[in-house]
Amino acid sequence: MFEVRSRRSKVLLQLLATALVLPYLFPLIAMVQGSFAGAGWGNYQAVIAVPGFFQFFLNSAIIAAGVIVLVYVVTMLAAYGFAKLHIRFREVYFWMLLACLTLPEVVLLTPLFTTTQAIGLYNTYWAVILPLAALQVPFAVLLTRNFINGLPEEMFEAARVDGASSLRGFLYLVIPLTRPIAAAVLIFTLIGAWNDYLMPLVFLQSQDMQTITLVPQFFVGEFSNDQTKILASAVLTAIPEIVAYLCLQGLFERGLSAGAIK
Amino acid sequence: MTVAHPVTGAVGSSSRPRRRLQAPGLPWILPALVLGGGLIYYCIGYTGFLSTLNWDGASPDPQSVGLRNYTNLANDRLFWSALLHTALFFVVTFVLQTTIGVIFAVIMHSRIKLAVVYKVIIFVPVVLAPAIMAPVFRQIFAADGQFNWVLDHLGLGFLAQPWIGQESTALPVIMSITIWQWTGLTFVLYYAAMSQIDQSLIEAARIDGAGNIRTLVSIIWPELRGTTIALGILSAIGALKTFDIPWLVTVGGPNNSTQFLGTYIYQMTIQLAHVGYGAALSIVLLVIALVMAILLQVAARERAPRD
Amino acid sequence: MRFKFTAKVAMRSIAALTIAGLAGLGLSACSSSSQGTAGSATSGTINWWGWTPTNSDEAKQFIAEFNKEYPKIKVNFKLIGISDYQAAMRPALASNGGPDVYDLQPGPYVQQFGSYAEDLTAVTAKALGSDWKSKIAAVAVDGLTSKGKLTALPIGSSYAGSLWYNTELFSQYNLKAPTTLDEWKQVCDTFKKNGVGCFAQGVSQEGFDQDTLQSITNSVEPGYWTKASKGDAKWDSPQIVEALGIWKKLFDDGIMQEGALGAQQYPDINNAFLTGKYAMVMMGSWYTQYATEAAMTQSIGAAGVAGAMPFAILPIHFPDVAGKGNKSEMFGDADYGLAVASKSKHRAAAETFVRWMATSAKGQQVVADRLDTTPVLAGVVPDFSSIKFVDSALQTDPVNAYLKGTSTISEPRFALLNADLENAFLAAAQSVGSGSATPQQAAATLQQAADAAKAANG
Repeated sequence: MFEVRSRRSKVLLQLLATALVLPYLFPLIAMVQGSFAGAGWGNYQAVIAVPGFFQFFLNSAIIAAGVIVLVYVVTMLAAYGFAKLHIRFREVYFWMLLACLTLPEVVLLTPLFTTTQAIGLYNTYWAVILPLAALQVPFAVLLTRNFINGLPEEMFEAARVDGASSLRGFLYLVIPLTRPIAAAVLIFTLIGAWNDYLMPLVFLQSQDMQTITLVPQFFVGEFSNDQTKILASAVLTAIPEIVAYLCLQGLFERGLSAGAIK
Repeated sequence: MTVAHPVTGAVGSSSRPRRRLQAPGLPWILPALVLGGGLIYYCIGYTGFLSTLNWDGASPDPQSVGLRNYTNLANDRLFWSALLHTALFFVVTFVLQTTIGVIFAVIMHSRIKLAVVYKVIIFVPVVLAPAIMAPVFRQIFAADGQFNWVLDHLGLGFLAQPWIGQESTALPVIMSITIWQWTGLTFVLYYAAMSQIDQSLIEAARIDGAGNIRTLVSIIWPELRGTTIALGILSAIGALKTFDIPWLVTVGGPNNSTQFLGTYIYQMTIQLAHVGYGAALSIVLLVIALVMAILLQVAARERAPRD
Repeated sequence: MRFKFTAKVAMRSIAALTIAGLAGLGLSACSSSSQGTAGSATSGTINWWGWTPTNSDEAKQFIAEFNKEYPKIKVNFKLIGISDYQAAMRPALASNGGPDVYDLQPGPYVQQFGSYAEDLTAVTAKALGSDWKSKIAAVAVDGLTSKGKLTALPIGSSYAGSLWYNTELFSQYNLKAPTTLDEWKQVCDTFKKNGVGCFAQGVSQEGFDQDTLQSITNSVEPGYWTKASKGDAKWDSPQIVEALGIWKKLFDDGIMQEGALGAQQYPDINNAFLTGKYAMVMMGSWYTQYATEAAMTQSIGAAGVAGAMPFAILPIHFPDVAGKGNKSEMFGDADYGLAVASKSKHRAAAETFVRWMATSAKGQQVVADRLDTTPVLAGVVPDFSSIKFVDSALQTDPVNAYLKGTSTISEPRFALLNADLENAFLAAAQSVGSGSATPQQAAATLQQAADAAKAANG
């Protein structure tokens, strides 16, 4: 966006970027440093040695995948509907959806617990996937609706001219176009689902269904608190999310050039 | 919100009314409403019901007290100071996150080396659960922690102080941690939004002789309005719900100087088992959030050129 | 598009919310609580949820020893961190899918979760006879008794009101453990001159502030804190004002560490002490575990120091800070107890497990040898032949005497308190410590909070 012609400007811009990013790097370094303190790689060994570690990893992956799929489908439908289609009291529904964003997670626990037990979903993945998806949907819809609104009207005119029905227009036009924002939604949903701690703690009873976010608990005692291993488990938990972001980064860029308007 | 395209001349505003596809849209939004709305409105309803009780969440006979929780709330000094902290927090973090996010997104769209590295660094904080970072930050800002160490080595040793042990500096610490954590989000969204901006607009501005800063302020920034509003609403709601960082880093202290609405609700509901009062606080939070979101959206609409 | 909020829409939204609310009410009323079943006393699978024991080895050890006697009862332990305990337990206990056995601690937990537990008096009497009260530490039992019901059997006790100090640092600077406030100040001045931290306590959380305040008050007037906690004396009194004044002095005289208001006992203070940054800590009988070589080495590693060199620590009584010649007595109660959920479907098996842990010599011996809690069963002492101190010559006798001394402690620690009162302690400690309130003001506020708490909690 910025045009930098002269060598001097290029260097300045690079310096500016570096100066801005350093404060963000600093705590990350502190964290990794902390995870190697004391026993060094032994901390990571201890974390992986936690009984059932790989099962926890798998559980987190399953739950995250479920949430992402659910959120993606629901969000794309809803965002398109809110942005482009005729709905009576559209704004009211939108605000009602937005209101869901405001509830602190902790408040959901008691009513959800009773309900999941009554419906028989307790101690299943669904007891975690459904609330997590419900919590992510408003945010995702907000973002995606804005994005779709920002797309030029001509695209949808083209669909109408071709006689395409609403659904076809949606599938072949909107879905590809929204790839950048879909990537963003995917990342945030992944993070929200992967990092969530309270829901798995309360709704997953059996040990072999626990998620990876519960691993640090093994190192927090009543009389002890092993920071080094907690940080090691934090690093291990974060790696899949970072990897996902890096992969989607590529999709981002490719999606942009493929969906170019002109 | 439509854009006037100087190149094609198509203007989606006064000359042609903006038409919507006439298909009924209700079925499209129904899944979202049922999933998001159904589940959560049930919980909101339940919370509303709880707010009329004086209950500890366990005893079999909760007593109904009508609206007394709400009147107590109005007189609760801690509630108002928590609200003040939340408001201050929102303004500062939103402004700073937006500024840094926009600047960073613009820089990343320009040609600089190793852009991927920068992008990853600024985004990784978003990925890390606050619960994980809290101990790291408690260490960094401790009286003998890394932050004071850095200040010392920059020759600013006289500024070294116990950052989280003082009422005056605890809240800025919480704000800094939050900004560190969430700037990556604003960056990603602005980056995506900027990728949507028609390059021809920018080229046209350059041909007209606009410099970098001018382009940023007059061309790029207005294009980001949608994202900014969305982020504003999200930040406002997020600020109201903020819990993890102030709870884990300073536990609402020292002396309630970092008490937020989110932490106050948690303290009331979980620790002190005043479930009814906590529920009343939650309902108030919900109302405030809605009002803020509506205000933000309405204010944005009024300033945008209408179609 | 304009935001149309017509009356019709408003009515519809309100209707939707009301229906949701009623549905919630209906559902919660419909989930009737089942009354558990007894089941077999020697076989079955029971679920045990608790915040302690926290390292899985300890829990496994308990269960393994238990299974030697009762091989057919399978115990599944689920660890719930203490900071999440209340959030997770409340919905679980209210439903029908909760644990069979769960941890309880004197004070707020007993009040909040004791109603879901069955009365264990009969079980205990059957195990130990009708004079069972004389065989189990009284103060531990009292703490877990609520409205005449024994909600949980205590497993181990912990006592506070002592300090532990780093003998190496003290001998390095030729210092003796302080016994008065002036001596304490002198010791701290010497340490400061040499760039070593003196005393550390985490002020940001309630529990340990309360310990220190209770110790100070015990020095001002023995037993006053307990009286005030019972409601038989006022918080807004010269004794408490004096105690808060001494608390302030700790800050002003540089005894309390810098940044104390933001520090947490675990992990900050613990790590700082174990890595030699501070010479003294406010810790109680649970700290005995760190007198051993194994535990200390492991913890120093956990504090992030490689190649740890353990050092010998010793306990001392809280100094006579009021200068009145009173010995500041220690206080404590059950560190935790095990409760049997009345909704449990395997009540008998659960009772067997709890009974074994609390009243059998074998179970209590396992508890004792861990050294992090004191066994509640009379006559059970840690097996010191198998425990290796860092410096046996230095530590064996004082630590033994310390542990023996705990058997005569009669003052409770958490049992008489409720969550609101504890919150008020924190506010008082922090406001006086930061200087934003005088001791008089803080005492007055504390009294108000205590009155309000009493009115709210009954």
